Amino acid sequence: MRLQRLRIEQFRQFHGPIEIDGLEPGINLFTGPNESGKSTLVRAIRAAFFERHRSSSAEELQPWGDSSASPAVELDFDWQGQRWQLRKRFLKQKRCDLLVDGQAFNGDDAEERLAELLGYQFPSRGASKAEHWGIPGLLWIEQGTGQDLHAAVGHAGKHLQSALGTSLGEVASSSGDALIAQVERERAALLTATGRPTGALARVSQQCEEQQMRLSELDTSIDTYRQQVDRLGGLRLQQQEDATRPWEAYRQQGRQAEAQLTEVARWQHEQQRAEQELQSGLASQQLCHDQLQAFERQQHELAERAKDRQDQAARLAELQARQSAIQTRLEQARLHYQQSRESLQQARHDAQRAGIQAELTQLEQTLKDNEARLQQARAQQTDLLQRRGQWQALHIDEASLRQLQKLHQDLSDLRVAEQAVATRLQFDLQAGQSLQLGHETIRGQGERRLLQPIELRIAGIGLMRIQPGGEDVASLVRRQQAVQDRINTLQTHLQVQNLSEAEARAEQCRRLQQAIEQDELQLRHLAPNGIDALEGQLTLARQRRQALSTQLAALPPATVNQTDSDTGIHTSLTAAQTLLDNATDQLRAAEQAEARYQKDLGLAEQASRIAQAEWQRLQNDIIAPERQQRTQQLQTQLLELRATESALRKDMNSLQQQIEAARPDILRQDIQRLGRTAEALEHAARERERELTRLQSSLEALGAQGLEEKRAELAQELQFSHRRRDELARRAAALDLLLLTLKDKRQALTRRLQAPLQHHLHHYLQLLFPQASLDIDENLMPAQLVRTGAGGHEERGEFQALSFGAREQMGLISRLAYADLLQAAGRPTLIILDDALVHSDPERLAPMKRILFDAAQRHQILLFTCHPANWRDLGAPPRDMQAIKTGA
Amino acid sequence: MIRILHTADWQIGRQYGRFAPEDAAALAEARLGTVERIAALAGEQQVRAVLVAGDVFDAQTVSDRTIRRLFNAMEGFAGPWILIPGNHDAALAESVWSRAARLGAIAPHVRVILQPQVLELPELGLAVLAAPLTQRQTHSDLTGWFDSAETSCGLRRIGLAHGSVQGLLADDIDSPNPIAADRAARARLDYLALGDWHGLKCVNERCWYSGTPEQDRFKDNGAGQVLLVDLPENGAPQVEAHAVGQFQWQRWSEALAVASDLDRLIERLEQVPASAVLELQLAGQLDLASQARLQQAISIAQGRCRSLQCDLAELRLTPTDADLAALQADGYLGDAIAELREHQQLDEGEAARDALAILAGLLRERQSGKGDHGSQGLPGAQEAQEAQEKQAEAPATEPTPMREDQA
Repeated sequence: MRLQRLRIEQFRQFHGPIEIDGLEPGINLFTGPNESGKSTLVRAIRAAFFERHRSSSAEELQPWGDSSASPAVELDFDWQGQRWQLRKRFLKQKRCDLLVDGQAFNGDDAEERLAELLGYQFPSRGASKAEHWGIPGLLWIEQGTGQDLHAAVGHAGKHLQSALGTSLGEVASSSGDALIAQVERERAALLTATGRPTGALARVSQQCEEQQMRLSELDTSIDTYRQQVDRLGGLRLQQQEDATRPWEAYRQQGRQAEAQLTEVARWQHEQQRAEQELQSGLASQQLCHDQLQAFERQQHELAERAKDRQDQAARLAELQARQSAIQTRLEQARLHYQQSRESLQQARHDAQRAGIQAELTQLEQTLKDNEARLQQARAQQTDLLQRRGQWQALHIDEASLRQLQKLHQDLSDLRVAEQAVATRLQFDLQAGQSLQLGHETIRGQGERRLLQPIELRIAGIGLMRIQPGGEDVASLVRRQQAVQDRINTLQTHLQVQNLSEAEARAEQCRRLQQAIEQDELQLRHLAPNGIDALEGQLTLARQRRQALSTQLAALPPATVNQTDSDTGIHTSLTAAQTLLDNATDQLRAAEQAEARYQKDLGLAEQASRIAQAEWQRLQNDIIAPERQQRTQQLQTQLLELRATESALRKDMNSLQQQIEAARPDILRQDIQRLGRTAEALEHAARERERELTRLQSSLEALGAQGLEEKRAELAQELQFSHRRRDELARRAAALDLLLLTLKDKRQALTRRLQAPLQHHLHHYLQLLFPQASLDIDENLMPAQLVRTGAGGHEERGEFQALSFGAREQMGLISRLAYADLLQAAGRPTLIILDDALVHSDPERLAPMKRILFDAAQRHQILLFTCHPANWRDLGAPPRDMQAIKTGA
Repeated sequence: MIRILHTADWQIGRQYGRFAPEDAAALAEARLGTVERIAALAGEQQVRAVLVAGDVFDAQTVSDRTIRRLFNAMEGFAGPWILIPGNHDAALAESVWSRAARLGAIAPHVRVILQPQVLELPELGLAVLAAPLTQRQTHSDLTGWFDSAETSCGLRRIGLAHGSVQGLLADDIDSPNPIAADRAARARLDYLALGDWHGLKCVNERCWYSGTPEQDRFKDNGAGQVLLVDLPENGAPQVEAHAVGQFQWQRWSEALAVASDLDRLIERLEQVPASAVLELQLAGQLDLASQARLQQAISIAQGRCRSLQCDLAELRLTPTDADLAALQADGYLGDAIAELREHQQLDEGEAARDALAILAGLLRERQSGKGDHGSQGLPGAQEAQEAQEKQAEAPATEPTPMREDQA
């Protein structure tokens, strides 16, 4: 199909007519800015085909604000060597004329022919919509819809399918798809989408499992039953054995053992008795033995006693022999003691006398001395008294003296002061001349101090009175006078004439004081305690002398020479004392020895007596006739006892052997063992009896359940279920396989059917993406783009997931491929692209232009764009809308 | 002349798991019916006694009802019944017999011998040497004592035992409960009535297995009969087999190679008696049309006979072009059928064959559902889509039961 000429009038933007003629068979590029009328052209073409000329909804085709306009479109095109001329006017003068190679069609008829030719439909009423557009809807791409392929392909589907069918011949199955649906449904009744059992198959599988479980339970019960039956059989057999009461034999054996044990016990008792007897016999033996031994010991004792008696006698004799010696020694010691005592007495008298005499002598001396001292002391005392009297007389009070001295001093001081104030009268007289001064005659040189008015008489000359000046002199004199008075008073008191006399008396008093002190010292030396004490002493001494003389006179006459010194006397006294001490010691020793002897002798005599008595008694015992008889008796008894012992021992030995041989411990064990055995046997028998009863009733109950019959029934059911399950599983498998095979074959066929479309698609795709492939689905929609990515690996992308731009490109490629397909099927193709590929970048646009140019070799393409620069290298001269408008 | 009836292996209480529940119930029920017929036969034939050589019950613990029903079934013959336990119903300490005794189900004229013994019945002229099983299994010959057992003069010595006659079957040497093959001769028996072997078997002229009176296996070994034994004064007994079984168990193994094979099979199937319990094992190849015919024939036969089970594992479906055309298996359906047909050879052959059968069934259904399309030109894609939509609206159908698979 090739559009030749297009003319429009009163159509939207264009009030006046616009005509485009001489359209190229390939690409026709219309350029112009927005609102320049490109879309109006496209709309006009669509209206020419899609809108019914009678349609009242064509108002939108009128130029704006011109409701009286009647839009008109004229189209001339060639198709299969025929010239088709379409004249269509809407609204006011609505009509449609189609001239096909001179044959005219009008109105609806004309429109139907066009729809049939191009493959679209008219709406039954109202405006034409996308779903009516069919093939043109697919190939005429409106602004901004290039990427939206799905709806357009859907609307064109039938035509495309038909085009494919026509091209490939009638190979599709008449009923295949319906069959597949049916198989799918039947499969779904048994299997889920993922192939798991469901529905009847799942139910029967479940049933199988349940039945299997119940069967296992029944098998267990049956097994139990069988075991119980076997057990019952075994028990019956054992019960028969039990009927013979086998435990009785053991009981019998046990009783025998008990009897045996009783016998053994009797033996043991006997043995015990024998043992007691033996013990008593042994005790008797011991008694006899002891007694005999005692007799023997007495014999020995007798010998000992005899010896003892002898010894004692000998000892007594010896002691008696020693008696005189001891007496003698005692006598002598007594004598010696007496003598010593006497001599000591003598010595003491001597010493006494000597002492007295010595004291007497001393006393005499003392007397003499004391008498002398008494005399002396008395004299001394007299002196002392005298001196004390003197002193008393002379005594001047020391204080008064010092007062006096002081007064004299004061007086002297006063005189000095008088001298000082006195008028001095120095003179130097010629030899032989004299002057009379008062009462004094003066000569030669000298000096006088004058205190009182005085008259100087100068021999020859007359008289001169001298009056010492000042009142001090008078005062001094008065004070001098006072002092002198006091001195006088004091001297009177002191009974002295002057000071010197007072001082001399004081000196004399001091000397006297010293003499008194000396006398007192001397007196104290002579009679420290006073003269009276000395006198008392003297009296005492004289009395003592008297006593001593009396004592001396009472003493026996001296044995020793009176001349012996005191030393001698003392020496003899000490010796006498020593002698006496020795004698005393000797005497005491002798007395002790004597006492000891007496005691020993007494003891010896006693011992001797006792020894004699003891011996005598023992001797008497031993030699007594009863003793002999008793001994004899004991010996006989001992022999008898020994015989009995030996017999008993023998008996016991044999009993012991008997007992040991009988093994009472083992016997007891036997009794226990046999008893227990019998007990256990009987118990087991009773248990068996019980178990038997129990088993019997259990089995009766179980048997009544008809277990095996039930099992057989259940097994039968299970087998049937299994079979049903297997059948269903088989059917499921078969359906699965069938479905798989059918789908597989259908897909293979689809692929084969789609091959031409695939071929065309591939042709264009290679220009855009070398090595890439674009799958198409059953609805002939592009499905999956497979291309080699940057990394050299394969990339897969669903069409719907591609970017807007890529989808637009794929959309265009697909449409071109559909166009090729339709063309191959002998359908007319016209491709209109209104501002296509606006979302493609230059990189993609370049191959797309190659694609378009390639497609244009087979199809007429009208391309409208407001980007002329983008399409400069499309290989087609652009037609400017402005030029078209002005040209018109 | 003394006539007795020898039977064994009644296996009362037996269940048949391999059958559909209603069939299994009928087969189990049949065993009691057979006992009734035996009783009737014994009455008819006026036998002196009925000897049952063990395995009267299939198990020890059958239900009380089953026990009672058995003895009820035996009421038809008032003469003496002499029963011994077999390995299935051995006289254990507690057994189905002791239960039966407790239930009071055993009628006076029924003698159950639970201990090895000589049962002298002078009034019948018989001395029965019975060797009942008192354990589930023994490995010694329980009939050994027959040799030395004395019986009163003038009485026929009849042995009654349950076990495997030694040397009868090569691979049965280790089998429990052995019985010496020459026991009848060694024990001077007039007749030795044996049980355990479910088929009719003559060990020697005085020693027989009667087999089970009601068949329970697909084995053509004479099962389903009882023996009427005539014991003459002298000489060998006259043994006559008498069919009493209700159902005949048959196994058909057929190879389908050519079309006429199927014709013959269908013809046979049409003549299957109602009492048949049939197992059909088929091998070979079938086209889809033949498969449909076979299906039809099997379905009819199943309706008529007691049980018909098919084993079609070895049967391969080979759709022909005519099949495909007939089924309108055009387009990719044809491809699918071809592939499934190929896959029958592989490991998953069974699934492939089933899938093929399902597909064929579905196609056939669709075809019959819209016959107006017939073999007209194939509809275009548009029509196919319409058809699909129409199908989708239809309610989902239950999976078609695969009756040929009830094997």
